[in-house]
Amino acid sequence: MSEIKLNSLIKNFGGNSLAVDNLSVTFPSGEFVCLLGPSGCGKTTTLRMIAGLERPDSGEIFCGDQTYFSSNTGEYLKTEKRNLGLMFQSYALWPHMTVFQNIVFGLDMKNVSSSEKDKRFEELEKLFQLKNLKNRYPSELSGGQQQRVALARMLAVNPNLLLLDEPLSNLDSNLRLEMRAELKRLHQTLGCTIVFVTHDQMEAMTLATSIAVMNKGIIEQLAKPMEIYKNPKSLFVAKFVGSPQMNIVDFNDGEQLASSLLNKTKFDKIDVKTLGIRPESIKLTSKDNGDINGTIETIQPTGADWIVGLNILGKSIFAISSDQPPGNENDIIGLSFKLDGLHAFDRNDHKLEAD
Amino acid sequence: MVSLNTTNQNSLLIRIKIKISRLLLQPSFIIGLILVIILTYLVIAPIISIFSNSVSLTMMDAMLSGGKDGAFTYKYIDRVFTSSISEKIFWTPLKNSITVSFFATLIALALGLILASLVTSTNIFGRRYLGFLLIIPYMLPSQAMATAWLTMFKNRKISGPPGMLESFGFTPPDWLAYGPLPISICMALSYFPFAFLLFSSALSKIDIQLEEVASTLGAKTKTIWTKIILPLLIPTTMSVLLLTVARTLGTFATPYILGTPAKYTLLSTSLYSSVRSNESGVVAVLAIVLSLIGVMLLLVDIWVVRKWQRFITVGGKGIKRQPSKLGLFRTPTTIFAWLIFLLAALGPFVVLALSTLMREPGNFSFSNFGLAYWTGVNVPGMDQPGMFTSPEVLTALKNSFLIAGSASIICGVLGLLIGYAVVRLPGTLISGFLRQISFLPYLMPGLAFAAAYLSLFAVARGPIPALYGSISLLILVMVVTYLPYASRSGISAMMQVGPEPEEAGMVLGAGFWRRIVSILAPLQKSALVIAIILPFITGMKELSLVVMLVTPGTELLTTQSIRFLDFGYTQLANATILIIGVVVMISVLILNRVTKTNLASGLGG
Repeated sequence: MSEIKLNSLIKNFGGNSLAVDNLSVTFPSGEFVCLLGPSGCGKTTTLRMIAGLERPDSGEIFCGDQTYFSSNTGEYLKTEKRNLGLMFQSYALWPHMTVFQNIVFGLDMKNVSSSEKDKRFEELEKLFQLKNLKNRYPSELSGGQQQRVALARMLAVNPNLLLLDEPLSNLDSNLRLEMRAELKRLHQTLGCTIVFVTHDQMEAMTLATSIAVMNKGIIEQLAKPMEIYKNPKSLFVAKFVGSPQMNIVDFNDGEQLASSLLNKTKFDKIDVKTLGIRPESIKLTSKDNGDINGTIETIQPTGADWIVGLNILGKSIFAISSDQPPGNENDIIGLSFKLDGLHAFDRNDHKLEAD
Repeated sequence: MVSLNTTNQNSLLIRIKIKISRLLLQPSFIIGLILVIILTYLVIAPIISIFSNSVSLTMMDAMLSGGKDGAFTYKYIDRVFTSSISEKIFWTPLKNSITVSFFATLIALALGLILASLVTSTNIFGRRYLGFLLIIPYMLPSQAMATAWLTMFKNRKISGPPGMLESFGFTPPDWLAYGPLPISICMALSYFPFAFLLFSSALSKIDIQLEEVASTLGAKTKTIWTKIILPLLIPTTMSVLLLTVARTLGTFATPYILGTPAKYTLLSTSLYSSVRSNESGVVAVLAIVLSLIGVMLLLVDIWVVRKWQRFITVGGKGIKRQPSKLGLFRTPTTIFAWLIFLLAALGPFVVLALSTLMREPGNFSFSNFGLAYWTGVNVPGMDQPGMFTSPEVLTALKNSFLIAGSASIICGVLGLLIGYAVVRLPGTLISGFLRQISFLPYLMPGLAFAAAYLSLFAVARGPIPALYGSISLLILVMVVTYLPYASRSGISAMMQVGPEPEEAGMVLGAGFWRRIVSILAPLQKSALVIAIILPFITGMKELSLVVMLVTPGTELLTTQSIRFLDFGYTQLANATILIIGVVVMISVLILNRVTKTNLASGLGG
């Protein structure tokens, strides 16, 4: 159980912009933290710096009362000494070692006696349903089995801190659901701090106890998943989290819609650059009964609900309706906007707060 | 002010401390640093030495003309380009080299393209076997073809036993026996497998869907070939062209064996005779010219590859092209393909073998066959022992194994180490430097590189003793020459494994040595075996690189066969080449075992 503290971390790979740009953040002990962001936003670099596989150019990293790295004092704790667990996207199981050899490798490094190794292996074997796989090689395992072996290898040494690098991206969608539940249960039983990296906002929403949305080397927002969704602090966060995406409109592109949305808020047109509305906050009614009229372009039934493509004087948006839409393609219908999914952003793409 | 200064100093000290501790903690950095020092001496020093030799007076000339030993001079540059003998040592050889390279490359290219198309895309008989059989000439030492030719077409112009045709009563004219025609043909037959491999691989990489789209739009097979496949092969063709020219320019054995009797000199043989007559200044100038041509060809190749990048097709589902039916042409094309195999691989082998088994050339009566040249009992017409009893052959055999063996082991290990340092230190000065410097020997033809080594190691310099005449020099020069291939395969092997397996070990507490022993070494086992066997094969066949560095006692099989030929012991020369061929074939078989693929697909893929 340890909290992770990053202080003014900077990492430059020699490109035009910094990979990690003066990052300061604290992940409380026992949290399941997700670093979420598009590729190249610095999330994996941050994870690798916590693991010690990458060295920051400057800044500090603390884990509990241990100093992992500090450019102020020159301290640096080698990866080998950090006692953490890291799971790679590719799992990085050693192809020349059996399941058993892979899993007890960390115990070998600690010179654990062989009876204790066997005992620990049996526990993990049971926990991760690896019965009868002991002497198999990684290439003889299915994707899900490989993943469970990687998890077992990581947990064999009882690490203080778990780091997961896109752990679910190589799995098919069924298995992914199963493994998500597995990871969640694991976090509840172990209670240790977990930091994991993903670009999949769905994964982040369902797994994490708090999400750090990253963009261009900085954390745009760190909050609980529902807070991130309900109250995005910036345009980037608003756009990145949610599927289908939040509808974004400004006064150059969809003047009519923007004005109609603005009327719902208490903000002044001078302060507002962009407005956004979540698809599920658009209610579909019959023509002239809503805040504005629009033409139905497409209807995509998903089973649970309908994703409706609408056109409002040239601007295309999406709405999600849990009821059958009140019309067919090319029909004109009315739209009314619910305030809870409506957000306004200023010239710097920061969210405007109603005071 | 004072306090500001101290904080500045402190942070500077800390920064230096961090920097040093960071570097020393990285074993890849230490390995890289050591490699940089070694390679700088082994690669850069010879190049500097040869440049300085080209413009400084030798001791001999200094004594003759009264100058100072080592003084700056344009003498050798003048001698090569403008003096009265420049025609003989440079301009004529240059003209001859261009002629021979032109024809040899043209024939090799045509053969390679036609055979690759036939084997990959048509239903000629035996296409599965041809894919492998047609690259056999690639495995034979380059003098095999030339000596086989000589054994067949030799006439009375030079000494030694008569050629086979002569024994049948037909005296081949000089133009057929020696000079540009046989040199071009022999080079073409030795080097077409290279074109064949590259074209086969390019053909199998073309996305079949590109062709299927054309046929759904109504194109016939012929149109698909002329409008789609052949245009897509343009970049490969350019590469084959340039690299084959580079190879033919650097070849020594063929022009030496088939050109010398007709006084037909190429740049490579001209360089060699300058070495033999101890003209180190001229040698240096010629070597620089050869290297510059090599560099130029390579730069053009890089430029071509970049320019035609848009032709590289991505993707494809790995579906094999359906072999098209040749109909009436099936039999003639089959005969053609097998004829080339016969001429380039089986023929030379049989001719060489027969010549060592027949007491008198061309006499096919049963009593004429025997093992005399091998056992040394009753060798007709010479006071030479046989292959199995000759001390020279035994020494050469031992040397060949020792030199090629040590060089390939060193090369394989060095290649992986370079790969490790380059891949683990991305973006650093060391990584870039190692990558470039280990590639540098690729630019110099073997002959030029050997000349550079000759000039560097002829005398003791500082702590490094004079190595000329020693086995270590031969090993060293081989290691450095094969380094470009070794480091490239080392880099790609390390890239393939990626950092994750090692990082996974790091996270679990494994230190550097533990990671090397338990993780990296087992993962790179087969890469290492391949990295050792490939240079071993090349080393066993190597001639041009070592021919001017060997001395009595350090002869290799390849150079020994040239000595035998010089003395007119054709049969012994042929037997020596056969031994090389057999060793190489066995190595290739072992390689196939290890890699579990055949060489055809290995080199082609």
